[in-house]
Amino acid sequence: MTARRSFRRLILATTTVMLSVGAHAADLVIAMPNWSSGEATANILKVSLKKEFGLDADAVPMGTLIAFAGLNTGEVDIHPEVWLPNLDNLVKKYVTDAGTVAISPMGVPAWQGICATSVAADKYGIKNISDLSDPKKTASLDTDGDGKGEMWIGAETWSSTTIERIRANSYGYARTMRLLEMPEDVGMAAVDAAEATDRPMVFGCYAPHVVFKLHDIVRLTEPPFDAAKWKIVLPSEDPSSWLSKSSAAVGWDTAHYHIAYANALREKHPEVARFLDRIDFKPEEAIDMSYALQVERQDPYKFAEQWVAKNEDRVNGWAKP
Amino acid sequence: MAAGLAVSVSIAFAAGTQVYNPQTRQWIDYDRTKAYKYYKLHKQVPESFRKQVVKFRTAERPGTIIIDGNQHFLYLVQPGQQAIRYGIGVGRDGFGWAGIVRIGRTAEWPTWTPPSEMVARDTKAAKWANGMPGGPDNPLGARALYLYEGDNDTIYRIHGTPEPWTIGLDVSSGCIRMNNDDIVDLHSRIEVGAKVIVLMQGAALYKGV
Repeated sequence: MTARRSFRRLILATTTVMLSVGAHAADLVIAMPNWSSGEATANILKVSLKKEFGLDADAVPMGTLIAFAGLNTGEVDIHPEVWLPNLDNLVKKYVTDAGTVAISPMGVPAWQGICATSVAADKYGIKNISDLSDPKKTASLDTDGDGKGEMWIGAETWSSTTIERIRANSYGYARTMRLLEMPEDVGMAAVDAAEATDRPMVFGCYAPHVVFKLHDIVRLTEPPFDAAKWKIVLPSEDPSSWLSKSSAAVGWDTAHYHIAYANALREKHPEVARFLDRIDFKPEEAIDMSYALQVERQDPYKFAEQWVAKNEDRVNGWAKP
Repeated sequence: MAAGLAVSVSIAFAAGTQVYNPQTRQWIDYDRTKAYKYYKLHKQVPESFRKQVVKFRTAERPGTIIIDGNQHFLYLVQPGQQAIRYGIGVGRDGFGWAGIVRIGRTAEWPTWTPPSEMVARDTKAAKWANGMPGGPDNPLGARALYLYEGDNDTIYRIHGTPEPWTIGLDVSSGCIRMNNDDIVDLHSRIEVGAKVIVLMQGAALYKGV
């Protein structure tokens, strides 16, 4: 998951226009990512900080690289979603080496793998990664009559897509399946259309993601991550034989995302630093946040107000002295 | 241009496809002969290819068009996790591509100009080398929605047809064809700039059904 999202977010980081954060009178500045769970979390923090500590915080849209630069200089106080190990290089630079940024110890676990619609799992028996190498089962996924099933493995630009190709090759289902690369909106709309007509579909996926709330989706089981069996050579490293030199017949490693904040906050507002260190969002909550903003198109601030009201005891617990 | 090719290929090819029966939730083989007979008997296409509101859960905004060439459906996303579903006809070799485009412009009773290769080999097409005015016999039908990628015309269109019984088949040459009533309805509901997602399965893979 991480490779893909890190790519996407680095792009965001370089293209998002940073608003002026010096011209307002707010007590704190929260960097607001432009993906839905990050946007929701930024607003939940804004509402909670006002409620618990009477502090005014501005949630300012900005990309990750700019946010880290701001955390480093003190122009930004909080970043709600920092993905690890994706952003390990930024963590080394600012947390380990410069010591200007802190990472909350609580992480939300993120998952990546191959998913199936419930029709594919229940009616056609595609439940384990090895089922994708069974031509009798994958025939149900053939949409163009060539005998091979089709599956979407990610966007062309995601580095995770290359790794999914390596995994398909290592597991052997590259022989029974045609691997499709398309933008995420195309892949997700294909899931929507398959579900609307009870057609089976298998696709690359990651969680937290709204697809798990939109549809009844099954994660294919596979052998757990094993660093010794995860040998990835990227096309950029070896353009001609990256695929033959790579091998990864195991599941992805688990990633986590954390809240980050400027270390200066420990002195300026120690109660806020303590609060941030205790926040423990669950993956299901992240899916609900994304669903509310992305599918139901709820206003992020109003959603945050309701979330904080509904989770009052928990928020109070995080804020306890 | 791609739409123009539809006229010639629709005579030469017998395309097979499947029809979804919502009652039994099964897919039934559907070919050119069945399609023609059905239309002659009922004066309309099978139920699954008629315009209808269906449950459609998606993160896409209302107003987005999703084209599933494999199953011969075009969805117009509506509020409340629903969509208006229309039956479509697609290319005999599939739609030929997939991805995200937008409606760049639209036209009512568009003029059809046959491509030069067609003018050269087909005397009927040659007659319209400088453009066939819009009307009931025009292969583009009552409306055309021109698909753009950025500011560039992709040459693909969603358009009407004078051959309504071909809805549900793979007979044209890359364009999306709909019944005239349906394309008029769709045209009235969409806005220029609307997002169009062309799915990659089946028909989009150059293979056809």
